[in-house]
Amino acid sequence: MENVSQIVQKVRQAHWRVQRQWIGLFLLGLVAVSMVAGIYLNITVRATLAGHEIQLLQSNLIDDRQGNSDLETQLAGLNSVESMRSRAKALGFSPAEPEDITYVVVSGYTPKIAVDMSQPGAASQGQSQKPMLLPDYTESLFDWVTRTLASSVPAGSQP
Amino acid sequence: MKMLNSWRYLTVAIILAIAGAAIPMQIVRIQNSPEVAGVTGQGTYIWETFYPARGEIYDRNGNLLAGNKTVYEVDVDMTIMPDPKNTGTSDSKVTALDVEENIAQAAQATLGMDPTKALAKMTDTSAGTAYIVLGKNVPSDQAKSLMDLQKKNKTNPTGSNLNAVYFSAQLVRSYPENDLASTILGYVTEDNHGYMGVEEKYDNILAGIPVTVLVPADPRRAVEYPHIPSGQTLILTIDREIQASVENILDNALVSTGAVSGTIIVMDPKTGEILAMSSTPRMNLNDYTRVAEIFPGETPFNRAISQAYEPGSVAKILTMSAALDNGTVTPGTIYLDTGVFVVGGIPIYDWDRGAWGYQDMTGCLAHSLNVCLAWVSTQMGSDSYYAYMQRYGLGHLTGIDLAGEAPGRLKLPGDSDWYPVDLGTNAFGQGVAITPIQMVMAASALANNGQMVYPHVLYAQVRDGHQSNMSPQVVGTPIKAETAHTITSMLQNALESESSDALIPGYAIAGKTGTAQIPTQNGYDSKDINASFIGWGPVDDPRFLVYVWLEKPQSNRAASVVAAPIFKQVIEKLVILMGIPPDTVSLQKTGQ
Repeated sequence: MENVSQIVQKVRQAHWRVQRQWIGLFLLGLVAVSMVAGIYLNITVRATLAGHEIQLLQSNLIDDRQGNSDLETQLAGLNSVESMRSRAKALGFSPAEPEDITYVVVSGYTPKIAVDMSQPGAASQGQSQKPMLLPDYTESLFDWVTRTLASSVPAGSQP
Repeated sequence: MKMLNSWRYLTVAIILAIAGAAIPMQIVRIQNSPEVAGVTGQGTYIWETFYPARGEIYDRNGNLLAGNKTVYEVDVDMTIMPDPKNTGTSDSKVTALDVEENIAQAAQATLGMDPTKALAKMTDTSAGTAYIVLGKNVPSDQAKSLMDLQKKNKTNPTGSNLNAVYFSAQLVRSYPENDLASTILGYVTEDNHGYMGVEEKYDNILAGIPVTVLVPADPRRAVEYPHIPSGQTLILTIDREIQASVENILDNALVSTGAVSGTIIVMDPKTGEILAMSSTPRMNLNDYTRVAEIFPGETPFNRAISQAYEPGSVAKILTMSAALDNGTVTPGTIYLDTGVFVVGGIPIYDWDRGAWGYQDMTGCLAHSLNVCLAWVSTQMGSDSYYAYMQRYGLGHLTGIDLAGEAPGRLKLPGDSDWYPVDLGTNAFGQGVAITPIQMVMAASALANNGQMVYPHVLYAQVRDGHQSNMSPQVVGTPIKAETAHTITSMLQNALESESSDALIPGYAIAGKTGTAQIPTQNGYDSKDINASFIGWGPVDDPRFLVYVWLEKPQSNRAASVVAAPIFKQVIEKLVILMGIPPDTVSLQKTGQ
């Protein structure tokens, strides 16, 4: 029994054993730092790619808006009074005269007063039109850990 | 041996540790190295100015009156040209001239440019010029042809590719209806500034606010990019179809009457919404560079709001309504017209220099008797008369939301140039200068139960998908509702008794002609006149108020012959385009 205790004591105090413990601790730390750095690099790359994509989308958005303006103006030109009149004339139509019109009383009919260009689902006035980013994309690692820990504590429990 | 192994272990451990530590260090170093920051734009901010797209303008039915279209500036990057010193004898065998000639030929084929001029632009540059502008405001179809050609030749050798050509797109104003409603809309110059009309009045909200901000070059900061809202979209009260019809009628009227200019305004007397407003001349807004040619000298851009003139007899409706309102006269009041009435020592005569005998007030209006109206205003007294005229807004801006409105002039007792005779002459529209829009605003009180409405062309603003409609505004109640009904009835009777050319079958209309002499520095012009007509209807429920003014018509000197038929043509179109049924149908509808 005494011999066993002596062997254990010697192993614990062995020089190579102490060195190995230090090396192990160092490597553990190194692996941890490398992992954090790797994750950080990975996230940074993804953020950069997403940013590039946003830049491209913004550029496309501007192009699309310009294209839409072009098309809308072209369409308005095709539907202009002058154009419509000549098309109607070519189709054999002529302007109506008062005597050409028959009026019918329709109860409950309310004529349209003017156009309504409100867009359904548009953001309420004063609300920012800036794109909203989820917290997942903006919070730091520390914030994430704090939020995760906070959400894991049952509601009403005392700290 | 044991010691040797320990050293070996320690050495290996140190090497591994250094190698291992180098990995995260390298990661950190790469991310923070100036080279990488330079490539990714990390930490770099650039000043950029964002010009929001100019808001569009629609008519009340959603027809586009003013939009935007893309044009391109085509540039040539002179920094990537071969060295001009290279004369073709070096290894590359390509000279700057080869490249420039190739670009000039491409510009000829796609942009229709004169190749000699295009080449001169490139060759006549001083050393160190970074780029030259090959073409400005190039239409998108032409620019795209050149882009296609550039793509096709992209991989060609330096001499035959078009890689030095760059395009920058920009939006410019475009008016698909050309000259329609041009005097209302105004125009936008190359620097994105609006001039005249709606474009100037609402320039700030149409153009949006250019923003100069620091923009991060780092794509990871893309979320920090500013959101630049476009200019607001405007919806006007103008009805495109009515506007087009009114312009057509006015153009034909100028031809048929020989008038030098004309103005027609159509307004909803209940809301003050301008449904159409036309004056001559007009211009194609897409070619605004001709503005000085089309509107030479003092020619107003929009006579309806900018040209004050003596309205003549149409002003009698204001005098008569004021006298009825303060109880000076009633419709049945009888006046003996002897053909002359002296005010302030100056005799006033009727338009025909005749004596019309006994006339009631409706007769005075029907026959447009100056003498009678001068008597009416003197019976009112100057204090009361001018108080009413001021309540009608004469001599003041109406505040219509169009740039360039003129205030006109109403001389008042106490003014250095006011004389007692003015009380008599003002009563029938002489010695007072007003704009057509002032007359329309004042008359709105007569057509709208005594309530005078603010004339306006803006129906709504649209921003971020929300439409904010403008509310009608009553700017005053110069007369009582009963007075408004009485004068309307008198004017209706006056037109019907005279079988006026302004009337159309089936509709009760109230109105008054105006034949006004034109003042000159040497008294009134004996040759030319201003002919006008103001009227509204249907009298039971007025939907329109129309003012017609023809300047110096040559075919006839009577407004009842010249202006009344034009008014009739306008309301014939209005009842169709506005869906106004004849009075019999309206009564049937009301009875339901």
